Amino acid sequence: MTSQTIVLVEDNPDDEALTLRAFKKSDIRNEVVVLRDGAEALAYLFPSNGDTVPHPALILLDLNLPKVGGLEVLRRMRADERTQMIPVVVLTSSKLDEDILDSYRNGANAYVRKPVSYSDFAEAVRTLGVFWLLLNEPVPSPAPESD
Amino acid sequence: MTQLAGPADGLFAALLEAAPDAMVCIAADGRVALVNAQAERLFGYQREELIGQPVEILVPDAARAVHPGHRAGYVADPRHRPMGASRPLAGRRRDASTFPAEISLSAIDTGEGILVAAAIRDVTVQLRVRDLERSSQSLESFIYSVSHDLRAPLRALSGYSGALLEDYGGILGEEGRGYAERIVAASEQMTQLIDYLLQLSRLSRAELHLQPVDLGGEAARIAEELQHREPARHVRFAIEKPVQVLADRRLIRTVLQNLLDNAWKFTSGRDDASIEFGTAPSEDAAVCCYVRDNGAGFDPAYAGKLFQPFQRLHAAHDFPGTGTGTGLASVRQIVERHGGRVWAEGAVGAGATFYFTLDGKESA
Repeated sequence: MTSQTIVLVEDNPDDEALTLRAFKKSDIRNEVVVLRDGAEALAYLFPSNGDTVPHPALILLDLNLPKVGGLEVLRRMRADERTQMIPVVVLTSSKLDEDILDSYRNGANAYVRKPVSYSDFAEAVRTLGVFWLLLNEPVPSPAPESD
Repeated sequence: MTQLAGPADGLFAALLEAAPDAMVCIAADGRVALVNAQAERLFGYQREELIGQPVEILVPDAARAVHPGHRAGYVADPRHRPMGASRPLAGRRRDASTFPAEISLSAIDTGEGILVAAAIRDVTVQLRVRDLERSSQSLESFIYSVSHDLRAPLRALSGYSGALLEDYGGILGEEGRGYAERIVAASEQMTQLIDYLLQLSRLSRAELHLQPVDLGGEAARIAEELQHREPARHVRFAIEKPVQVLADRRLIRTVLQNLLDNAWKFTSGRDDASIEFGTAPSEDAAVCCYVRDNGAGFDPAYAGKLFQPFQRLHAAHDFPGTGTGTGLASVRQIVERHGGRVWAEGAVGAGATFYFTLDGKESA
């Protein structure tokens, strides 16, 4: 039930627009759901109204987020078997060893530091999109359910 | 009781003198029975002035009133323990000045009554070191968060001026594109400066992992990489091997990398470029190394500025790829962390030689 949706968890509107623009420029036309803090991300991933848990193709997760931090979101995702295998790429400004280690320890699939340079940033987003949406083999969908 | 302090207790007195801490022994009546030389030095009294006095003369005024009560409490339950575990302690010198102290207490049964032995340590230096560590940690985390927070707006500057160029370059016209390009370039330069700031603050605190390193071997590897990057250039390398030193491998490699990068860059105008790595005799250091080139050199009048951050003696357009002017500042920082020093000799058009010394030489 993997969808082709990309989830971008990002609180900085500048970075959000730059990321969306880079996707567009790279002809990555997948639906992008933008969530602006960790609490929004958790509410999206674990709907309280009984909706099925979404299974996006890729989550781009910032670490430094309002309300609930990125690492906590990652931890909660990895602790729940419904979201355990969703590819999560940490996309952040930090290059602190602790942040990198904590991300991998908590089950991040990759860690990318947002480049400052315009062209490097666009290239990083394009590469991520191409790798995770085209090259990488997604988690196989479970056997079709009775519905 | 005070007679216990007499010369008959030779062994006990000898042990007391041998203790590294100031020792003050107090009889059951609260009077000083015995002290060692360290206690005399610490408190500024002669021992004759202390023996027989109430121990409270060594207690700061503020705590003096409550001290006899604490003392009686200890004698009632005399276990070996640190004193005042929960509150900071202080001692009072003869001149009424005080110092922060760590005190541990133990009871000695002399057969003629209990002696309470107090070992007293002046912890002024330890406290100061702890404060310094704290403030340097908070400085580091400040620098980290500043550099982190500065990156986000820079990304926007670079990103949106780049987007302007890409999407509206045609409308902007040549002049307008030039302006936008300047914004992109300036934000990239600022990024490098911020990264350097971060690196410098880390360098100044990073722990050194000293191990034997062959600087000649490292230099040869770097030379190979440089040649590989620009195969069209012909540079004659002369590298002395091995040069065994004790150093932090990662950091000392940065030193060589910076110096050899510079030599490579500033010989780019010559067909007969040559770069040399070797050692020179040194009077004051275990080892003195140099990197010499026959490139553009520098005006010796500015030799002192070479190692300051953000200084460049060559205009960027003369030597494309010229950095932010932080390479040599890092070199100095690293060499000084290793207990060495750096200096440079050169003249305009006559090449440059960069020297650095290191403290520890690993005998081959």
